[in-house]
Amino acid sequence: MADLAIRDLHVQVEEKVILKGINLELSRGEIHAVMGPNGSGKSTLANVLMGNPFYQITRGDVLYKGEDLLAMSPDERARKGLFIAFQYPVSIPGVTMASFLRTAVSARRGYEQELMPVAEFQKLLREKMEALRVDPAIVGRYVNEGFSGGEKKRAEILQMALLEPEIAIMDETDSGLDIDSVKIVADGIMQMHRNASGGMGVLVITHYSRILQFLRPHHVHIIYDGRIVVSGGPELAQELEERGYEGIRQQFEVIAAEVQESGAIRRAGKVFWVTH
Amino acid sequence: MSTEGTTQVAAAALSRATVEQQSARLGEPAWARERRLAAWEAFERLPAPAVARPEEWRRTDVGALDLGALAVPDPQGSPARQGRHGPLVRDEATRAGWLAHADGRTVGRALRAELARAGVVFTDLACAMREHEALVREHLFALASPEEHRFRALHGALWSAGTFLYVPPGVEVALPLVAQTWLGTPGGVVFPHTLVVADQGSRVALIETFASAPAERRALASGVVELIARPGAQVRYAAVQEWGPSTWEVGSVVRARVERDALVHTTMVALGGDLVKVDVEAHLGGPGASAEMLGLYFGTGGQHVDVHTLQEHAAPHTTSDLLYKGAVRDAARAVFAGLIRVHPGAQKTNAFQANRNLVLSAGARTDSIPKLEIMANDLRCTHGSATSRLNEEHIFYLMSRGLTRRQATFMIVEGFFADVFDRLPFETLRGYLQARVAEKMI
Ligand SMILES: Nc1ncnc2c1ncn2[C@@H]1O[C@H](COP(=O)(O)OP(=O)(O)O)[C@@H](O)[C@H]1O
Ligand SMILES: [Mg+2]
Repeated sequence: MADLAIRDLHVQVEEKVILKGINLELSRGEIHAVMGPNGSGKSTLANVLMGNPFYQITRGDVLYKGEDLLAMSPDERARKGLFIAFQYPVSIPGVTMASFLRTAVSARRGYEQELMPVAEFQKLLREKMEALRVDPAIVGRYVNEGFSGGEKKRAEILQMALLEPEIAIMDETDSGLDIDSVKIVADGIMQMHRNASGGMGVLVITHYSRILQFLRPHHVHIIYDGRIVVSGGPELAQELEERGYEGIRQQFEVIAAEVQESGAIRRAGKVFWVTH
Repeated sequence: MSTEGTTQVAAAALSRATVEQQSARLGEPAWARERRLAAWEAFERLPAPAVARPEEWRRTDVGALDLGALAVPDPQGSPARQGRHGPLVRDEATRAGWLAHADGRTVGRALRAELARAGVVFTDLACAMREHEALVREHLFALASPEEHRFRALHGALWSAGTFLYVPPGVEVALPLVAQTWLGTPGGVVFPHTLVVADQGSRVALIETFASAPAERRALASGVVELIARPGAQVRYAAVQEWGPSTWEVGSVVRARVERDALVHTTMVALGGDLVKVDVEAHLGGPGASAEMLGLYFGTGGQHVDVHTLQEHAAPHTTSDLLYKGAVRDAARAVFAGLIRVHPGAQKTNAFQANRNLVLSAGARTDSIPKLEIMANDLRCTHGSATSRLNEEHIFYLMSRGLTRRQATFMIVEGFFADVFDRLPFETLRGYLQARVAEKMI
């Protein structure tokens, strides 16, 4: 069985249904991309996987390494190796990155009462900051407070590098970064992916295909209106690249209409992608 | 050793006779005794504060306090054990002097010899009255009057084991002085009085700690702190209050008179007690005077904390900057009422006031009441108050990195207080308070 298995996941916020039956399987060592237009439910999916209490799950289940993920608290998920790089990380006044990161790494590494020794932590932190070319000054600042968009994204990746997840979900980590930064971030991810003992699974949520040139996903999924309408290999991203995102968007509308009519999500997806 | 030392003398009721005995025991001069008796007379005459000053006492009901059940601790009793606050006082390298009061007696004192030689006086008030009578007579109760309300009157009649600090003109005391007040008698009362006179151009810092036994029986404290900063003087004062869970502190005041070009920095920390009602005031009396006022309170369980502050600008070109932050948990309640008063003619005044509260439980509540009385027209004045609940998005973010809810909450609370910690003028206090706030989270 896949390390992460999402089955028929339905999610809503108050009365608004956002995810309408997501199915997805991902294992360590694999890189998946999830692409889709704004508002299609990508961030919702990421947040639900991490246990954001804001969303209500109305149907479906998620197994993580064979266990019921949805029954776990967010911190339990994190300690077991799940990670999300948020699209819009919140800033927390008064909490320094240094103390936050040290506490987080200690939690992930199973320190119970005390924290990881300072010297050991600092060495680790320095290493990761160098690799990702993160300005060391950020550790003295408050969590995400006053960070530029790019700084926030880099800080998320830094956390990922420190926590060494087994499955990482990256929610539009590439947006707001210039192409050089995208490359640094992508290189960082690839390095983590290669070096992770036991392998690391990555779910890259993105709007653009440019990060995928560097990441070379094994699987690509297109999400539209709360459903994965088609899944395929890297050629899917290629196709998206060639057609341009705006061109594809119109096709989503076509699918949506078909879905509305037939309710046959997979068939609709197939129609779209196979006929091209 | 005298025989009295081993005789058990019962704790004394709050009475005129006890006032007289106390004055006699301390060997006070006639004027001091007369002041005590006048204060006792005021105590008997004045109505309950809720009647006399309903607005100030509206949110704190002390009607349930049974003064008849309280007693002045036996001055001959067994020496009280050391209270908390060890880390603040133990390390001699971090302080210039030390004074310890327990159950109304002064039980320990120290002052670096070079400071004593420079004319610094740091001793208990009774001793100061004997050795520096004119100085004490001139300043004691110069800023606070027993007529203000019943508790202040009671304080005026029964204060004991006070702290006296005098710094001669131009003398700078680099390290803080530390004074500890401990109340170990269940059902006891303590009326700590602190008088600081910083003469022209001097600099000094005093950290005071207050604690009492974790007894079941209600104990009562009511203190007065008078801080006098003469022209150009700088006084930094911190009160760290950690009374035991049954203690009520009612009608206390920290009041500063800041003269021309002087600076007073006060820090009020309220962590303990069952019910606490204190005032912290700065009176800016001369041009160029400035006051910085920091406050930190944290109520848990059924604690009730009521703090009234006053920034009084009576002279032009004066500055006050207040930051009070509080957290409440469980069924605790905190009240902050802050008044900025600018007198006619106090032009070119800068007055800032900020109060922030963090509510950690559904059953906890805070009230924040900023008030302005502005009678000048050329000034800068800002005030703001905000109360927020624990932000679930922040909690989720931290938990998504593996922190437990408790760890996440703790970080956020510590972060909430960070700017107060950052502005503390004493390094020793910062670490100490961070640890105490952590304890309050458990
Ligand atoms: N917290 C929320 N409250 C209300 N609606 C939400 C909330 N989060 C997301 N939505 C709605 O759900 C849909 C999907 O949003 P989101 O998951 O952020 O999409 P994406 O990340 O693909 O842009 C959008 O219509 C959005 O308005
Ligand atoms: Mg999104």
